[in-house]
Amino acid sequence: MKNRLRVLRAERNWSQADLAERLEVSRQSVNAIETGKFDPSLPLAFKLARLFESTIEQIFSDES
Amino acid sequence: MFCLFINAAMKRYFVRFGVSLLLYAVSLVLSVLAFVHFRPTGVVAYILAVLPALFIVAQIAAFALYLSEEKDEFVRNLQIESMLWGIGATLSATTIWGFLQSFVHVHPLDLILVYPLYCALSGVSYAFVNMRYK
Repeated sequence: MKNRLRVLRAERNWSQADLAERLEVSRQSVNAIETGKFDPSLPLAFKLARLFESTIEQIFSDES
Repeated sequence: MFCLFINAAMKRYFVRFGVSLLLYAVSLVLSVLAFVHFRPTGVVAYILAVLPALFIVAQIAAFALYLSEEKDEFVRNLQIESMLWGIGATLSATTIWGFLQSFVHVHPLDLILVYPLYCALSGVSYAFVNMRYK
């Protein structure tokens, strides 16, 4: 699944480790989600949306 | 830079696993000594024979508990995937060995070795599964 996490992170000047800390997951998890290798669950997607003050659709798109 | 991520659930798992492993080692030594020196029979023999195995069961339970406590869904997914590959590989290897035992009379497999075999194969699987997400 495509996502804008890298862009959103860069806008806030956050590293993957910073985002991981805010989400309470490992940096490896953030990397896997960001590179589209792992699709997060709905609760984690909502957590990301809240953190970036956007909607899930603004962060993720189902185009392959 | 290599950075090992260990969260609270993992820490609890390592403690539980470590305690189970220690108790397994102690119970195994006690059982072996008891069988060598006292040659127990009846119910006592059964209890002493099963005692070390109970701590292996405790290790499996500790892992199940860890999976239920792991909050990081990606890490949990990695562990479950590795476990499934480990189970599949162990079942395949022991089934193939079983048929070889029946038809060409290879050396019989000691069932005590199944759990260490599963641990080793799960460990190898974890390395491969983990590599996919690098």
